[in-house]
Amino acid sequence: MEISIRDLCMTYPNGKRALNGLSLELNAPSLVGLLGPNGAGKSTLMKLLVTALTPSSGTILADGRAVAKTERALKSQLGYLPQEFGLFDELTVAQFLDYMAALKGLRDSKTAVRKAIGAVGLEEKKKTRIRALSGGQRQRTGIAQALLGDPPLLILDEPTVGLDPEERIRFRNLFSQTAQDRLVLLSTHIIEDVQSVCDRLVVIDRGRILFSGTAEQLIRNAAGHVGVFWEHDTARERGLHITARVNTSRGVRCRAVADELPDYAEPDEPTLEDAYLYLISGEAHR
Amino acid sequence: MGKIFIYECKRLLCNKFFFGILLILLFYGRQVLNDITIMGVSHTAPFSAWSFGDYLSRMIPVLWIATLLFLTFFTSPAARRVSVLTDAAPMPPRRYEAVRCCAALAASVLTALVCIAEAAVFYGVYFGRCDIGSLTAPALVTALPAIMFALGSGRFLGQINERLVYIWMAAPLAAAALPLPGAMGIWNGSFFTEYPLLTGSTEPAFAVPAEIAAVQCAFLVCGAVMSVCRFGKK
Repeated sequence: MEISIRDLCMTYPNGKRALNGLSLELNAPSLVGLLGPNGAGKSTLMKLLVTALTPSSGTILADGRAVAKTERALKSQLGYLPQEFGLFDELTVAQFLDYMAALKGLRDSKTAVRKAIGAVGLEEKKKTRIRALSGGQRQRTGIAQALLGDPPLLILDEPTVGLDPEERIRFRNLFSQTAQDRLVLLSTHIIEDVQSVCDRLVVIDRGRILFSGTAEQLIRNAAGHVGVFWEHDTARERGLHITARVNTSRGVRCRAVADELPDYAEPDEPTLEDAYLYLISGEAHR
Repeated sequence: MGKIFIYECKRLLCNKFFFGILLILLFYGRQVLNDITIMGVSHTAPFSAWSFGDYLSRMIPVLWIATLLFLTFFTSPAARRVSVLTDAAPMPPRRYEAVRCCAALAASVLTALVCIAEAAVFYGVYFGRCDIGSLTAPALVTALPAIMFALGSGRFLGQINERLVYIWMAAPLAAAALPLPGAMGIWNGSFFTEYPLLTGSTEPAFAVPAEIAAVQCAFLVCGAVMSVCRFGKK
């Protein structure tokens, strides 16, 4: 699966510009992490990829064919989990997945449903009505429907929201395994999730791509721009962005990113979170 | 397609709303049968096609509301949240909508059959007779266009705004209160109470004048067309 996005623009009817000339190439196998602040355009990009929205301009090609013209062919290869979704509360987990398998036109729906339920660990709840599920279990049901039929393209918008830490780790490992032979696009706010499993990061802000590459490359960009220091009045100086603030017996230890570190800050190795914040905060000043 | 139809029927029929509707329908039907139908309409027997048609026309508001309530399973905000998942599936939207409309139609027809069955039991108990064959024509001409039009128009309004579906539930009540033209006499029941008197016969055979048949056909066709059309855009 190959996705090619060229000069994609999206302006909503209310005039809000969500994407602004975005271009991107995505090739399988890969697990691509999509990062960006709220309102950056991540969900809009995903909705455009699944043809839930029509772009104002620009093209999206899937395996060389415009998705707008081959919507059905794209959807037959797609597993999609949106950020916000509903489920049929009257049905059981297995029935809902069977319903979705029928909609996806899967021939061996029984096997597909069993496999998806097993993948998300809902075997014990498969005969439970959806209305009786917890938030995390509903989210897992949503992930299961995206995994039905092992689609070659998986688009997951904030898939680990509502999951406990143990489940989150389990699922990011599942996504990593899934991406061994297909293309997985994962949008999240949780930096840890992308650092652990994604082989490529795409950072979006205000509808434009700020960075596309590996986590190591993003971290390298922030080298020399991360420092730690004891809390100081001058920490409020312009251009210094505190990323962590820890109360200790000796006082308050701060960690910050800046284009130019002040003299009193000791340089430190950047983490992915530092690098991300450095990129986003730098962009905010431009 | 068959599987989706069965699951949609299950969603519509296996819940407390359906049983609530059935209870209201049976209670109201019993009242109409015991208070009005038992005396017969326009000097015809209580078990005549005319009296039965009058009974069904009085049941139209409940059947109409039941049909629109079934539609709210597809137009409610909760259902719209599920549509973000179903829209991403490769099944053509028109086909999917058609399957869902068929499920709503099946549920509505089942509700109408319960209504008819109640009348059949009433005739059996009180008069020891029930000629199903003679009841078919008034059932088809009265209930089917009303159900189909409720389905199509309700679906059309539901795609604009779910609240309109609830407002639209009052339409047959308004029709019963308004002086409708003679061709729409089935919608306020005047056809069953007035037309037999015009024939000059004491027990006239059931017949539907051309203008009433045309109006009922028009409602049926409009409902069917609106049921399969998809409105709105991305």
